[in-house]
Amino acid sequence: MALISSLLALRRDARILKLPPYLSALLIIVGVAWLLVLPLNEYSRNTYVSENALLPGQVHTYFTGSEHNVFRAYRQEVAALPDLSIEERNNKLADLFRESDLKVAKQKYTYQVADTNISNENVYAVLQGPRADATEAIVLIAAWKNMADEVNYSGVALVLALARYFKRWSLWSKDIIFLIPGDSTSGPQAWVDAYHDGHDPRTIESLAIKSGALQGAVAVDYPAGPWGHRYDKLHIVYDGVNGQLPNLDLFNTAVSIASGQMGIGCTLQRMWKHSDTYEERLQTMLRGMLAQGLGHATGPHSSFIPYHVDAITLVTVGDGWHDEMSLGRTVESLFRSLNNLLEHLHQSFFFYLLLQANRFVSIGTYLPSAMLIAANFSIMAIALWVQSGRPAPPPNPTATKLVKKPLKKLKFDGRHYVEVPDEPKNEKEPSDSDKKEDPTENTTDTTPPVTAVSNNGSTALVPTASLQVTERALLLPLLFTLSTHFLGLLPLYAFNLTPAAELRPIFIVTANILTLLPLLTAWLLRFSFAPTPQQTTLIQSFSLLLLGMFLSALATLNFSLSFMVGVLCAPLSFVRERKGMVASGVWYAVLVLLNPVMVCQVACWVAGVGVEEVLLKASEGWAVWGLWTQVVVWGVWFPAWFAGSVVVALGFFPE
Amino acid sequence: MLSFLPVLLLNAFLACVCASSDYHERLLLRPLPQSTLLASFNFRSNESSTAIEQQNFRYFPRSFAQILEHAHTKELHLRFSVGRWDAESWGQRPWYGAREGGTGVELWAWIEAQNEEEAFSRWLTLVNSLSGLFCASLNFIDATKTVRPVMSFDPEGDHTNSSNLHLLHGNLPHEVVCTENLTPFLKLLPCKGKAGISSLLDGHKLFDASFQTMAVDVRPVCDSNDGGCSLQMEQSVDMVLDIARSKRPRDNPIPRALPIGEIECDTSKPYDAEDTCYPLDKKVEPAWKLTELFGRPLKGACPLTEEMGDEGESLCINTPPEREIQVNTTGQYSEARTALDTLRCYKLPVGADFDLVLPEQKMTTGLVRAQPQLFAARSVNGHGQERGSVQAVIRNPSKDAVEFVYLESLPWFMKPYLHTLRAHVDSLTENPVKETYYRPAVDRQRGTHLELRMIIPAASTLILTYDFEKAILRYTEYPPDANRGFDAPPAVIRILSPYLSTDKKGIYLRTTPLLLPLPTPDFSMPYNVIILTSTVMALGFGNIFNLLVRRFVGMDEVSALGAGGIKGILAAKLGRLKALLGKA
Repeated sequence: MALISSLLALRRDARILKLPPYLSALLIIVGVAWLLVLPLNEYSRNTYVSENALLPGQVHTYFTGSEHNVFRAYRQEVAALPDLSIEERNNKLADLFRESDLKVAKQKYTYQVADTNISNENVYAVLQGPRADATEAIVLIAAWKNMADEVNYSGVALVLALARYFKRWSLWSKDIIFLIPGDSTSGPQAWVDAYHDGHDPRTIESLAIKSGALQGAVAVDYPAGPWGHRYDKLHIVYDGVNGQLPNLDLFNTAVSIASGQMGIGCTLQRMWKHSDTYEERLQTMLRGMLAQGLGHATGPHSSFIPYHVDAITLVTVGDGWHDEMSLGRTVESLFRSLNNLLEHLHQSFFFYLLLQANRFVSIGTYLPSAMLIAANFSIMAIALWVQSGRPAPPPNPTATKLVKKPLKKLKFDGRHYVEVPDEPKNEKEPSDSDKKEDPTENTTDTTPPVTAVSNNGSTALVPTASLQVTERALLLPLLFTLSTHFLGLLPLYAFNLTPAAELRPIFIVTANILTLLPLLTAWLLRFSFAPTPQQTTLIQSFSLLLLGMFLSALATLNFSLSFMVGVLCAPLSFVRERKGMVASGVWYAVLVLLNPVMVCQVACWVAGVGVEEVLLKASEGWAVWGLWTQVVVWGVWFPAWFAGSVVVALGFFPE
Repeated sequence: MLSFLPVLLLNAFLACVCASSDYHERLLLRPLPQSTLLASFNFRSNESSTAIEQQNFRYFPRSFAQILEHAHTKELHLRFSVGRWDAESWGQRPWYGAREGGTGVELWAWIEAQNEEEAFSRWLTLVNSLSGLFCASLNFIDATKTVRPVMSFDPEGDHTNSSNLHLLHGNLPHEVVCTENLTPFLKLLPCKGKAGISSLLDGHKLFDASFQTMAVDVRPVCDSNDGGCSLQMEQSVDMVLDIARSKRPRDNPIPRALPIGEIECDTSKPYDAEDTCYPLDKKVEPAWKLTELFGRPLKGACPLTEEMGDEGESLCINTPPEREIQVNTTGQYSEARTALDTLRCYKLPVGADFDLVLPEQKMTTGLVRAQPQLFAARSVNGHGQERGSVQAVIRNPSKDAVEFVYLESLPWFMKPYLHTLRAHVDSLTENPVKETYYRPAVDRQRGTHLELRMIIPAASTLILTYDFEKAILRYTEYPPDANRGFDAPPAVIRILSPYLSTDKKGIYLRTTPLLLPLPTPDFSMPYNVIILTSTVMALGFGNIFNLLVRRFVGMDEVSALGAGGIKGILAAKLGRLKALLGKA
C-alpha cells in the first residue's frame, strides 16, 4: 500500500513530465543502435535449410553435353525475335514449346498506368508431370525483358532448352509451368492474377490452361546475346511487392545449390563485392531494408509472393568463367529440390534481414528496433495527454499582482481529497474565518491561492490550482487529427491517378503547398478557433498516438517501412509550440525538410534517379502491383508530419 | 481414311456374353501421338451363379466372391488411377471412360439391403474387406467420403430385384496407387501374371506410365434365353506408356543428353554449326518391341483362355495397315486382320515367349483418333485462408448439343455456397442447368453431394463456378502433412446424349482432383506452449510440493534430533550398543 500511495503521489510530481522526452530520445537512439549491432556475429545467425524434403544439391545434374548445342540453337532462334511484333514473337516461342510436346497458351494484358497503356502478351507452356494429378505446380520464368529493359536472350533460351530437357524426366511430382512474360513486372503480375482469378477480365485475358496450386517460382535473368557471356556470380533477388519475402528455405536452397554444388558465388542486394566485414554486412542489410521499405517489384518473381508463392530471381552478374550450362544445372537442381517438396514451403522464416548469402537476422532479433521507435511516439502521446490534463503552470511567484486567496480545507482519505464537511463549501468565500490559516500567508501577497489539506490530523497547504480537475476540450483536436488523415487522400489520389506528363508539375505544386499549408492552417486555426495551449497539446498527442499505433502494427508487416517512417518522424516527438519567432522558424525549417515530398526529392537526388521516374514507378505500383507504400506515406506519415508542423507554425502567430 | 475404329472394336469385344464359366483376356495396343502407346489390358472371367452357390470357384477368385457375398454386394466397381488422360493429344478415352477412375481410388457398388442404414453398414464391411484385399486405404472411405449418386451411375448388370439395391460411391483422391495394389490385383487373375498378357504387367513400367488406371468390375449377367445367370468379373488395366521413357533400361533410367552424333540437327538453319544444333523432329513412328516397353517378355497365352474363334486372340494392335510389325516367337501363333486391316490380332502360343517388334518407320497415314465428346478442366480460384471458388470449364467441340450429368462430391470442410453456383454458356442466355440434386454437408458427418444435369450447346464452352468457404479444422484433424493442403475428389461427368453407348457402361470423363489449402495452424506453436507451460508447471509444482512435504523445524530442535545420515545411524547404533554393554 505504501508503494502504491507513494507512486500515486509521484503521479502528480511535476518532474514526471520531464522524463518522457528523454525516454523517447533514448528509445530512438536504442532503436537505431539496435539496428547497427545486428550485423555482428552475436546477433545474426548462419542460414540453414529447415525443410528436410528440399535436400538441396543432393542430386546429380545431367543438363550437359548435347543440351548445350541445343541451347545455342535456341539462343540463335531467340536472337532473331526482338525485331518481330509481339504476336509473331510469341507465336514463334509457342512453336518452340510445342516442339517439346508441351501444352502452350498465351495471355494478352493491358494495364493503364498514369494514362499510358502497358500492354503486352505472356506465353507459357505446361509440362504435365507424368504421374502428377494437376494439384501442384512450380513455375520457371524468363521475362522477355529484364528489369534493366534488356532482352533476356539467354534466359529465354535457357527456359526453352530446360523445357525440352525436363520433358524427358519421369520423376516430376508436380506440373512445371514455363512462363515467358512480355516484361519483368506487369507480365508476371497479370499472369499470376489470372491464375488465381484475381484479374479484371476486361483488360487481362483469363488463362486458357491452368494447373494446380503454385508451390514455388524461379525466374532467370541472363541477358547475354547470341554469342553468350560468361558470368561471375549469381545475384539472387528475393524482395517481393510490399516488402513481403519468400520463405528463407527457397533462398537458402538456391544459395546452397549455386555455391555448394555448382561453385557459383552468390550475391544479394547489388553487393557485387562482399568480403563479410561489418560495414558490408550493414550495407547489405540497409539495402535490403530500403528495397523492402519501398516495396516495389524487383524482378519477375515479386508478383508471386503476395499470393503466398515463394519466388526468387537468379540474375547473372559480372565477368567470370561460369557459362549458361552451369546456370541451367543450378535451375535443374533447384527444381529437383522443389519437386521433392511434400508440403508448401512453411518451415523456415518469412521475416528476415539478410546480411550476406548465408547470414541472416530473424524477426525476433530485429523487430524490437522498429518497435522501440514506434513506442517512442506512444510514450510522447501519453505524456502529452497527461500534460494536457495538468492545470496551467502557476503564475510566477515574483509577480506583483495581488492574488485573492481562496482557501479550501480538504482531507485526504487515503484515496481522494475530500472536503472537510464542517468547512464551508463555497470556494469564493473568504477564508479569513478559517482558524487554521497559515500565518505566513498573510505576509506575502504574491503567493497563489492555496488550500489547506488535512490528512490524518496533519495539515498541508497546497496551491489550489493543482487540486482543480482540468477538463480537456477534445472536439477541436479530434476533428483536426481526423481531417488531417483524410487530407492525405488528396495527394494519394493526385499522385496515383494523374497522367505521366503531369506528375512533375504535381510534385512541384505539392512540394510548395506542403511548405506553406501548415502556416496557413496555423493562421486559420489561430484566428478562427483560437486553440488553447491544451488543445494544441492534444492535437499533437492524438497525432503521435495514431502514429505510434500505425507504426507498431506496420512493423510486423513491413519492418523496414515502419523503421524508415519512424526515423523520419522522430523529430515530431520533440516539436512544441515555441514562443519565439526564431525558435519556431528553426523547428519549422527542420520539419519542412522532413516532409514526405522533400524527403523523396532528396532521396532521388542522392540515389541519382529522376523524380518523375520514381513517381511513374509508384503510379505503376499502385495500378499494377497493388503497392501500398503510398498509403503509408500519405495516410500515416503525412498526417503526423502535418499535425506536428501546424503545432510548430502556431508559434508564429502568438495569441 | 479411318485407321482406327474404336466402336467396332469395343463391340466385338463384348459380343459374346456366355452364362457358363469361362475366362478371356485381351491386350489392345494403340500407338498415340507424341510417341506414346496405349496398352489396354482386359481380363474377363465368368462363373455361373449355381457354381458360386456351391462354393465352386474356377475362374472367379474365391476371396473376392466371399467378400461380395458377405457384404451383400451385387455389383461393384473399383478403380485405382494415377496421372491424367490427356484428351487433347490422345483423343477419346479407352472404354469411353467407363473403366476409368478419378486419381487415387474410387469405388462404387450396389448393395442389397432393406434400408439405408443397413446398406451403409454393409458398405463399411465391404470397404474394410476390400482394403485388406487390395492393400489400399479403402477403409478410410467413411460417411464423409460416401455419396449416393442419383443420376451419374446406372447398374451394368442384370439385376432381378433392383428395388432393394442401394448405390454407394466413395472416393480417396490422395491415395497413392503403387505396386502393393498391383500384386493383389494380379493375384485375382487365373494365370496370376505368370502367363498370358498379364505376364507383361510389371510394377516398374506400369507406375512409370503417363496415365494408368486399374479397374475391377463385378456384375451379374443373365442370359435372356435360358435365364441362367452368372457373375462376371472384369479386370482391366489401361496405361499410356511414353515409348522413349519406357525403352530406357531399368539399370540406367536417367535421360542423359544423347551424344551429339545421335541427334538429328536441322542443317537448314543458318547458324547450324558443330556446336549449335537445332533438334529436328524426325516425324517417324519410333521403334519398339514389347519386351523393351514392358521390361519383361510376354510368356505365351494363358492356358485357361478359350481357344475358340476370335476370343482366343489375346493380343491386338490397332495401327494403320502400313505399319510394319514383326512377330518374334518360337511357338505357334496366328494372326487375324479385321476392321480394314487396322486391327491386327494374334493368337498367342502356349508356353513360348511372344514378342512384337515394330521398327522405326516413316508413316504416310497419320494416326486418326476419335475426338472426345467433351473436354473438362477444373481448378480452384482465389487465394487466402477463408474462401475460394471452383471453376469447371467444360468444352463441347462437336456439332451436337450434349447432355450430361456433373457429379461433385466434396469433403465437408469445403462448404460450397449453392446460391453462387453459376453455369454460363457464352452462346446461350438460358440456364444450361436442367436438374439439380444437392445434399448439403454436415460437419464431420457427411460431405456435399451435388449432381447437375446440364445441356451444353454445340461448339461451345460451359463455365461452371461456385464459391466455397473453408472450414477450420480441429488440430487433431490435420494429417501429418498439413501444409500440403487437402484433396477434393475429381468431378465425374457422365454423358447422357446424343451418344448412347451400345452397352450399359455409359460414357464418362473425370476431371483432375483439387488441392485445397486450408488454414493451417503453426504446429510448432502448441509444442512451444506445452514446453513453456510444462516448465512453469514444474517450477510452480516443485516449489509448492516442496513447501507441503518438507518439515520445518527450528534450529534448536535440530540438535535434539541428532545428526542425520550414516553418521547419525552409526551414532544411534553405537549409543544402543553402549547402553546394552552398560546394562550388561
